[in-house]
Amino acid sequence: MNILAIETTGAEASVAVINEKEEVFMETSDEKMNHLQNLMPMVDNLLQKRGMVIDDLDYIAVSEGPGSFTGIRIGVSTARALAQALSLPTIGVPTLQSFLYHVPEYRGIICPIFDARRNQVYGGAYRWSDTGQSEEVVPGGAYDLEELLEKLESQIMRPKEAKELTTPEKGEEITFFGDGILPYREQILKWQDSSLNDNIRVSFAEDDIMLQKASSVARLALVIYRDGGGKSLYDLKPVYMRKAEAERKLEEQTK
Amino acid sequence: MKDKNFITLGIESSCDETSAAVLREGRDVLSNVIASQIKVHQVFGGVVPEIASRHHLDNINTVIDSALSEAGITLKDVDLIGVTYGPGLVGALLIGLATAKSMAFALKKPLVGVHHIQGHICANYIEHKDLKPPFLALVVSGGHTNIIDVTDYNHYEVLGRTRDDAAGEAFDKVARVLGLGYPGGPLIDEAAKKGNAHAVEFKRVFLEKDSLDFSFSGIKTGVLNYLNTQRLKGEEVSVNDTAASFQLAVMEVIVAKAVMAAERMKKDKIVLAGGVAANSLLRKMLKEACDRKGFELYYPSPILCTDNAAMIGCAAYYKYQAGMEDDYYLDAYPNLAI
Repeated sequence: MNILAIETTGAEASVAVINEKEEVFMETSDEKMNHLQNLMPMVDNLLQKRGMVIDDLDYIAVSEGPGSFTGIRIGVSTARALAQALSLPTIGVPTLQSFLYHVPEYRGIICPIFDARRNQVYGGAYRWSDTGQSEEVVPGGAYDLEELLEKLESQIMRPKEAKELTTPEKGEEITFFGDGILPYREQILKWQDSSLNDNIRVSFAEDDIMLQKASSVARLALVIYRDGGGKSLYDLKPVYMRKAEAERKLEEQTK
Repeated sequence: MKDKNFITLGIESSCDETSAAVLREGRDVLSNVIASQIKVHQVFGGVVPEIASRHHLDNINTVIDSALSEAGITLKDVDLIGVTYGPGLVGALLIGLATAKSMAFALKKPLVGVHHIQGHICANYIEHKDLKPPFLALVVSGGHTNIIDVTDYNHYEVLGRTRDDAAGEAFDKVARVLGLGYPGGPLIDEAAKKGNAHAVEFKRVFLEKDSLDFSFSGIKTGVLNYLNTQRLKGEEVSVNDTAASFQLAVMEVIVAKAVMAAERMKKDKIVLAGGVAANSLLRKMLKEACDRKGFELYYPSPILCTDNAAMIGCAAYYKYQAGMEDDYYLDAYPNLAI
């Protein structure tokens, strides 16, 4: 059983294959923002390096968003067309949640944020439970950064959680990922310093794990597959988390 | 290449129509499925690129399925995949391209990128089974106004182009100021039938003597000025008369330049293509001009004038016949030159 995973939602594109033994192999583009051009040759290279042929694939997984609208569409249309041509099922992988698989040993909260312009981020927060399950701390969405940080703070200050805060590194450490770090780093540090919750400690992901990676998309895809989450290509939808600008304006006018 | 029953799958998504078509032997259309987004964009008064891209993604796979099932084949029967790679809206183009590239890769079939305008010209090969180059092509659409010397199936030389707005663009803008709605082409055509084309004398812009280029931004301003002047004078404006006068002014220039180009290039065939090729006045005037000069005139039926994948499949077929093929690096070119 092999799953091909496609990641094109950010500045760097990558593809990966994962098998049932959880072995992951990844191919990354060294060129930024040229996903349409590079994606298919990357898949070709990956398969060749692994000594595989396209018919060895059983599922086509794709990072479904949020992220760059264009990037999401390149990934989803590629995944769907491969599935259509090969008569295979697909797996839609939530992009934000996939960041948990960047740091499988990490005990803190991870908070991927993508710069969504208009002073917003696409973001969410997740952590590994004690039993190794992925847990959602703040659901993925388009947020003003303050709104996202408020939600994080309220989650950390939950009474149930407060007791556990005596154990250090239990969830009060938050590591931020994604290209949203770049414009919002200072604002996040300010929030840490001004927070009434002394237990909040912020850190930022190192460069090599800061952005989306197909290897993590593949790992989460395998989990979704095992939970029976494979689906027809016709049910594989992009997750934009935001309406088109023109549509939003039109709705405002007609309100 | 098989000699019999060579099957081409064409894919088009450069603007606001998602289309897939199946052709046998390049000219025989087995299916030509078009999902139009006109209604989606009407409320915005024009095509919104982000919304167009979203709809292309929603539609593309089912459009391909319909094209295959209407043609009674499966993807495995396809020998060649042709796809529009420019010009057009980049976000729209890439849906068709990513799909075509993935399918060609998965099915191990050859891939050919097609120039959208060359596709429009090739629509005539589908309509007129005996048509062969050389000929002079006049391409008039929402995004393009070109006079092209077609010397062979894969040899195109642009003799004239618009320096500002495309003819179809001017139609859309004038339709908007006349309150006719969107898309402008068919609405102005309809209104003009009920109007007096000599009611207002809009300036015909021919540019330099002997130039085969066009300029349509001036006439659009001319219409606006006329409407404002009438309004200031408190005089009523006839929408039908204005539409008819505007349309005549545009078509007189187009027809005159097409005939001049054909004479200069010593061509006796004129091939009309593009969305505005469906305009009834253009067809009538060009037919009369061709009859006077002893030229033959070819144009496609209305469905083949709109953006469609059959014309793309046809163009891909002739490129492939000539040994042209693209690799998986094929990219989208929003401003692709002919």
